[in-house]
Formats: sequence, C-alpha cells, structure tokens
Amino acid sequence: MPQDPWQYRPAGDFDLPPSQRTRSTRREAGFFSGLMQMSVLGMASTWLRVAHRLQVDGVERLPKTGAFVIIANHSSHLDLFVLLASLPWRRRGCATAVSAGDTFFSGPVRAWASAHMLNVLPLWRRGATGGALSDFRARLCGREEILVIFPEGTRSRTGAMAGFKPGLGRLVAGTSVPVVPCFIEGAHAALPPGKRLPALRPLRVKIGVAIDFAHCEDGKTAWLEIAATCENAVRQLMK
Amino acid sequence: MLIVVVAILAVAPLVFLLLKRSGASDLWMAELWARWKSWLIMAPLFVVPLLLGRVATITAVTLLGLACFYEFSRATGLFRDRLLCWIVLLGIGLIGFAALDNDYGLFVAVGPLIIPMIALAALQPDRPAGYLQRVALAALAFLFFGVGLGHLGYFANDRLYQPLLLLILLCTELNDVAAYVFGKIFKGPKMAPNTSPNKTVSGAVLSMLTVATLFAVLAAPIFAGSALSHPFHLAVMGLLLVITAQFGDLVISSVKRDLGLKDMGSIIPGHGGLLDRFDSLLFVGPALFHYIGYIQGGIGLDMPVNLIRGG
Repeated sequence: MPQDPWQYRPAGDFDLPPSQRTRSTRREAGFFSGLMQMSVLGMASTWLRVAHRLQVDGVERLPKTGAFVIIANHSSHLDLFVLLASLPWRRRGCATAVSAGDTFFSGPVRAWASAHMLNVLPLWRRGATGGALSDFRARLCGREEILVIFPEGTRSRTGAMAGFKPGLGRLVAGTSVPVVPCFIEGAHAALPPGKRLPALRPLRVKIGVAIDFAHCEDGKTAWLEIAATCENAVRQLMK
Repeated sequence: MLIVVVAILAVAPLVFLLLKRSGASDLWMAELWARWKSWLIMAPLFVVPLLLGRVATITAVTLLGLACFYEFSRATGLFRDRLLCWIVLLGIGLIGFAALDNDYGLFVAVGPLIIPMIALAALQPDRPAGYLQRVALAALAFLFFGVGLGHLGYFANDRLYQPLLLLILLCTELNDVAAYVFGKIFKGPKMAPNTSPNKTVSGAVLSMLTVATLFAVLAAPIFAGSALSHPFHLAVMGLLLVITAQFGDLVISSVKRDLGLKDMGSIIPGHGGLLDRFDSLLFVGPALFHYIGYIQGGIGLDMPVNLIRGG
C-alpha cells in the first residue's frame, strides 16, 4: 500500500508572471523580499522605540496562533509601522497590510517598493469591488496570516477618528478569524498627513481584546454591525 | 562546437517549413516557433559565460541553481520556511565558491554539512507536524540544484571545459528536442503515460540513440590522446548523458504532477519556468563528471587549487 500524499501549497501568486505579481492581492513574500521587509521593519521598529519611545500595552492579548485581523485608527504613515512593531518578532513575517492602491501602487518603482519592502497589498479605492475583498478573505482562511487594516479608509486630516467602512465586515463575517482592535496615540502629532519628516513625539499603542464574528451571517446588515462594533471597541480604548 | 550550435538554430526554421509542408498542425507549428524563439535567447545565455571563461561559467551555473531553487520553493511551498531556504541558498553558494576556488575537498564537504544543518534548522519553529516534509524538500532541493547542477560548474576547472561543457549542454538540450519531435512523429506505446503523456518509447529510444551517437562523434576530438578517446568510453559517456537527461526530465515531470502544476513558473515564454527547460541537466553533471574522473583522474586536479583562498 503506497503512502498517503503530502499536502503542498504553492505560492498564492505562483501562476502569475513577475510583472503582475507586484500588484497582485494573492502575493506571498519569498525569501528575498522577506529579508528586505525584515530589515526595513527592524530599522523602523528600532527608530520607533528609541526616537518615539514607543510603548505597547496589551501584547499578551494578541492571538498566539492562527490568522487574525488587526485594526486601528489611522492618522499618519507611522501607524503601519507602529502596529507591525507591536507584533512579536516571530509573527512579523506573516503580516501584510491593506493599503490604498492609488497611493502606494501608483508608479512601477513605488509599487515595487510597497510590495517587496513593506509587503502591503493594494486595494483600489475607486472601483473597489467585492472581488478584491474576497481575495483578502481567502488569504485569512486556514493560515497564519496577519492582516493590518485601517477601516477608516484614509488617514484622518484632523487626528479625530472617522467612521469605519463596512468592508472590514466583509472580510471576517461568519469566519473564525478574530479582529484585534488597537488605538494608536500620538501618531498624528508626530507625523500628520502632509508632513515629510516625523517630529520626535512619544507614541503609544493600546491593544484590545480580540473580537470574534463567527456568529454573524455574511450579509450587508452584519457588515455594518461588525464595522460599528469594531469602531466602538477602538473608541473604548481611547478612554 | 560553437558553429554546430549556430547552425542548428539557423537550420531549424527550414525544418519547420518542411514540417508545415508535410501537413503538421498549426498548433504544433506555433509551439515550435515559440520554442525556437526562446532558444534564440537562451543559447547566448549558455554560450556567452562559457566564452567569457571559468569564473563566468561557474557563476552562471550557480545563478541558474539559485533561480531553479526559487521556482522549486515557490511551487512546493517550501519558501514559507525562510530559515530552511536560506540554508539551501547558503549550500548552493558554498558549492559555487568551492568550484571557483577549485577546492574539491570543500565541494564534497558541503553536502554532509548542509543536510544536517537543514535537519537541525527544521526543528526551529517547535512544530513537529510536517517536519519530514520540510527537511525532505529542502534536502532534495539542495541535492538537485546545489550538488547536481554544481557538478556542471565544477567542470569549468578542467583544461578542456569549454568544448566539453558546450557539448554536454548541446546534447542534453538536443535530446529534449529530439525526444519531443520523435515522440510526435512515431506513435506507439507511451513510456510513462501518467508522468509524461507526450513521451513514446520509440521516440525516447530513437532520440537517445541519435544523440548518444552524436555525442560520441563530437567528443572524440575533445578527448583525443587521452584514455577516454577509446570508442567504448565515448559510447558509455554518450549513453550516460542521454539516460540521465531523460531521467531528469521524468523526475521534474513527476514533481509537477505530484504538485498538480502544469509548469514550474512563467519566466520563459513557450517554455514555462526555468526548471521546465533545465530539468534534464540536473543529473547529467554528476554522472559524466565522475565517469571522466574515474577513467582519467579527477577533474581540476591538474590545475592550480585554492585559487581564492590561496594555497
């Protein structure tokens, strides 16, 4: 009797030619881009901890295994690095972020850097469809993936948090993927939109308790409800 | 030898036209043209490093090994175990270094050192599930793309490496093409219908006999005056080449079928990935290297050793 076959999982973007891989939402980092990302992240994390005295509260609340979504208020380009730097070292390699395709993937050089140095995935704000979101949903199923999302959809110009978009609900409704709410304090003062260099202001991130939406049915009311619940959870952390 | 390569690429379109006259299907013709165009690009990639010299040849073979490993790791999912991948890359790099340094001791030592390192590094996530699969995939990848291809690079330490390597590359790739063309022309029982549905027994045997003869004829002037110039040795080398080339092809086909993939990548138009084209080279190097070494004395031993480290 021959043995049972092994389970293989080729790279999600395996069938794409190199030119399309950069902009694909199925992209998985290989060992070269992984090394670049780790060095960028290592430098960013050191900078945040030394120059901005980054303080992380509640690391122990992050799920230890499995996929999860991590969300926060968004008012600065520092936010992404703050969240990634808050993750334990071992799991940083699994983290990707959803970013605005029209900003981060606008030219070939910028797209390459976003894809291979920051490991962010494009979501096109204009004409975004359910199809794009279903790719992200597929990424979260049955993996160690960590997806960073800023559900406001853009950086706040005033520093005040805007309402959350229901797209977040579309990703997690009816799945066992937990959502970890976080609140980032000080990022708007350090590097607001429009400024190029960060001011050396202190940064603090509070990590909340993970919320599970397995009981929600995948539908429009549930998406809105999930967005509202998550927004509320982040607002609770502000206090 | 160079003239033969150029001549084959030049004559190929005429053969295509003849085939078209004799009623070959349009689909097949389109495929043939695509393959020919890829060869126009790939042949210089082979030949230029060889003409540039020893260092360029070994570097090119090492880079080919790294690229093949990249494809293999993406296809099997091994790339998610980053530490293992870095160890395999280190192994392929060390093999390349040993060849550049003409240090046969190190060349042989890399294998026994890298494989235990792979087994050790695979312990790292403290996750026994899938341990054997991780170790096996990484070790196999190192043996194929580090050791297997590395032997081709080590050939560059031989006095006669330029004609010899060119002949090996030419015959290996010709064997591929011939098996494909003969397989199309001569129908009959399939060699391994589940692994490689296009290969017929008659096509394989015919192409192997043709290419082995070609190798023996063209190798005779290269080895003139040495122990290997005896017709028996020439014939054995020709057969070793075609058999190992055929095996390499079948092995990578098996890998693809097991993974459920059609191609190992999408880099070369008309050919798929690099591995789809260079699969037959994987085992040719070691077989010929050690046969020549056994009959004639080790390759590169009559040349200065430890060129980089100094000796």
